[in-house]
Amino acid sequence: MTPSHHGTPQAEYPAHFEPPHGPTWRLLFGPGLVRGGWMAGAGFVFGMLLVLALRWWWSWDPYWNTEVILAVAGMVTAPIGFLAGIGSFDYWLHYISGRPTRPEDHSGHGARSWKDYFRVNTDHKVIGIQYLVTTFVFFTIGGLMAMFFRAELAQPGLQFVDSQTFNGLVSVHATLMIFLFVIPAFAGLANFAVPLMLGAPDMAFPRLNALSFWLLPIAGIMFVASFLAPGGAFGAGWTGYAPLAEGQPLGQTFFNMGVQWAGASSIMTALNFLVTIITMRAPGMTFWRMPLLVWANFTTSLLVVIATPFIAGSQFFVMFDRIMHTSFFTPEGGGYVLGYQHIFWFYSHPAVYIMMLPGFGIVSEVISSMSRKPIFGYRLMALSLMGILVLGFSVWAHHMFVAGMADWLRVPMMITTLLIAIPTGIKVFSWVATLWRGRIHLTTPMLFALGFVTMFVIGGLSGIYLGSVPIDIAASDTYFIVAHIHYVLFGGSVFTIFAGIYYWFPKMTGRMYSERLGKWHFWLTFVSFNATFFPMHYVGLRGMPRRVFDYDSAFGDLNFAISIASFVLGASFIVFVYNMITSWVRGPIAEANPWRARTLEWQVSSPPPIFNFDEIPQVVGGPYEYGVPGARHAIMSPSKEAQEVHA
Amino acid sequence: MTDVSLHAEALHDHHGPPEANQSSRVDARTLGMLLFIGSEIMLFGSFFAAYFFVRVVNPSAPPEWPPEGYHFPVFVAGVNTAILVTSSFTMHWALQSIKRGQRAGFLAGMVLTFVMGLAFLLTQVVEYVNVGFNTGDGAFASVFFGLTGLHGAHVAIGLSLLGMVIIRGFRGHFSPEHHHGVELPGIYWHFVDVMWIVVYATVYLL
Repeated sequence: MTPSHHGTPQAEYPAHFEPPHGPTWRLLFGPGLVRGGWMAGAGFVFGMLLVLALRWWWSWDPYWNTEVILAVAGMVTAPIGFLAGIGSFDYWLHYISGRPTRPEDHSGHGARSWKDYFRVNTDHKVIGIQYLVTTFVFFTIGGLMAMFFRAELAQPGLQFVDSQTFNGLVSVHATLMIFLFVIPAFAGLANFAVPLMLGAPDMAFPRLNALSFWLLPIAGIMFVASFLAPGGAFGAGWTGYAPLAEGQPLGQTFFNMGVQWAGASSIMTALNFLVTIITMRAPGMTFWRMPLLVWANFTTSLLVVIATPFIAGSQFFVMFDRIMHTSFFTPEGGGYVLGYQHIFWFYSHPAVYIMMLPGFGIVSEVISSMSRKPIFGYRLMALSLMGILVLGFSVWAHHMFVAGMADWLRVPMMITTLLIAIPTGIKVFSWVATLWRGRIHLTTPMLFALGFVTMFVIGGLSGIYLGSVPIDIAASDTYFIVAHIHYVLFGGSVFTIFAGIYYWFPKMTGRMYSERLGKWHFWLTFVSFNATFFPMHYVGLRGMPRRVFDYDSAFGDLNFAISIASFVLGASFIVFVYNMITSWVRGPIAEANPWRARTLEWQVSSPPPIFNFDEIPQVVGGPYEYGVPGARHAIMSPSKEAQEVHA
Repeated sequence: MTDVSLHAEALHDHHGPPEANQSSRVDARTLGMLLFIGSEIMLFGSFFAAYFFVRVVNPSAPPEWPPEGYHFPVFVAGVNTAILVTSSFTMHWALQSIKRGQRAGFLAGMVLTFVMGLAFLLTQVVEYVNVGFNTGDGAFASVFFGLTGLHGAHVAIGLSLLGMVIIRGFRGHFSPEHHHGVELPGIYWHFVDVMWIVVYATVYLL
């Protein structure tokens, strides 16, 4: 967003946009991280004064209330100041104030140096990479937290931390992994791939796209910064159940507000995907010719737009209860405690599919192109996504079988939960049928895709166990649940993210990753993942409760083994990071289409041209017609003959 | 000669993105606004869920609503409802005027809409001050302030959108051909109005 070169009269622009100012002036007052920094500070002071003034005006005693000031100044006005400072709102502020808007000069497109990744950039490819790097930073932080509490859990009793810190570590770990890794990493991959796959030059709303990325680090920093709050980080779990959360120290407010920023980010992105997919498909790209990744993001985005407001609501209520003395969920004031869990899970169960469906899309792409066969049952694959979308809204209370909710709700919720196994089963069988007699190339993305299918089946099966009321009542709040969720979200989602990163790495960077290191990464991850999480099924069924820092010494040996395996799992990530960094810097130059895939993003150069396509391609067939004689997905930059044929 | 100009055009195209294909008759910005409103409806949905949990599902819900000793200002809020509903009509008038190129009607309609929205919001503030209970006075007060406050925040967002239209309107940025910037805030304003009718019916009348 360097607004220095445009041919409109100078007088109509605010003074600080004009080139005559020196470099220092531009550094301080031009859009960028420096202005973001001081405007965040200004935002904080403004919010603090606002709170003090209002409390003084209503003569509320005491005027100074740290929690209110932090919630308003630290978590609302300071982030808004930061966003304004880095330039997210520059265009809109121009528009709102009635000044002529700058005609899109496309200087916000593309990245010429690494510094461009630290700016508000409207290019969906740059934003995709911004998303992925940011999410992997938070993945690392969340992973280190997991290492830390696994070290604590290696022996019964307290070794390193106190109980509140332990709970904080577990809670922040889960929160980062969910809100700052799995959900936005999928958004990042889709941001990069979906417009290319559709034959679109960019997303429908590029500036909104940039804004939704920049909300993300704000949320992440809030979650991590909660450790600095007096009393320590929020320790009520990522589920933040009320009224437990209402008795937590100050850190809980960081969770309440961080979720709002992360949620706003994912709603904006989802809205952008939906509009892009509906209105910007290339000619001939009917819904039944869209790649399954696009289908997956279409359904995911619907889920996000419909469900995410519910977690926003639930966290608002808890925060109001905490700082405005309301009693939405406090029984003393006449509130309804279970209401929290209903509202929370009405988002958070669909969120499980938000964290899974894009992975289904990635795996469909990888499996089809790596086994050189059309996807088995393409339409059913797309329809099963829609089936999961619809069913996903009718199962939330299966998280509450032991919560004391109405008994009659249990069996209907059990039935709908088990019904989800049908569309999910359709997908698994379709992948297997796609592999059947395919010419399988065991590249790293394919290994991760196959690892995903196997691990996800295990996680899905334990999910069926947990979906039935009697087993759930026995296994509730044990390590069996921990094993289940990690088989679904690590063996499931994280494996698909790795598959997607390796698959699109040559397209994103224009360089090839090291296949040898990739395979090392896969096998280390696959083995140590199973060594870490499979024994948890057993200790869980034996009765070890989850979310505890201390446990019966009978589980000591197994927990020690689990901790060792988890350190290996953590170490396997180093291989990945090393591979990514060295390959990005000096890997061999990648071809445009190393996988010989059919979808549109592989028909352009690696990395893609700044505006994706010289001319919008004409789509003439399905995306997965591998081995079908004469089949084509698209005609790029139509030649004269093609134009005549279609005329 | 045609070849040369075509070539020049092709070169020029490399400075900007190719025109995206319009694969839907729906305008992208309108669709975006409608989806955003869908999301907003779900946010209200979570507040309505909390409301009915506290009032209906809750075993310790008070037998009377509002609990004895408290009452909601049904009449004042009713007048306020009338103001807000009227502002929807003036909004529609403003949009129709700019579509027909009648600038005076457009500006008058926008200013009237804005003033009525502002009146609604200020009335709500006065109502809060005089309502006789505070957020800490029990769950009924929580859900009362929750729903009406959420709606008030949306009125404030709507007002800033309207203010934006007015600023640009007075600068002459809208015309019968270019009125998207009026239409989208208008859609949002109608949503805020309709939502208020539901909130009013639930909180004050039900």
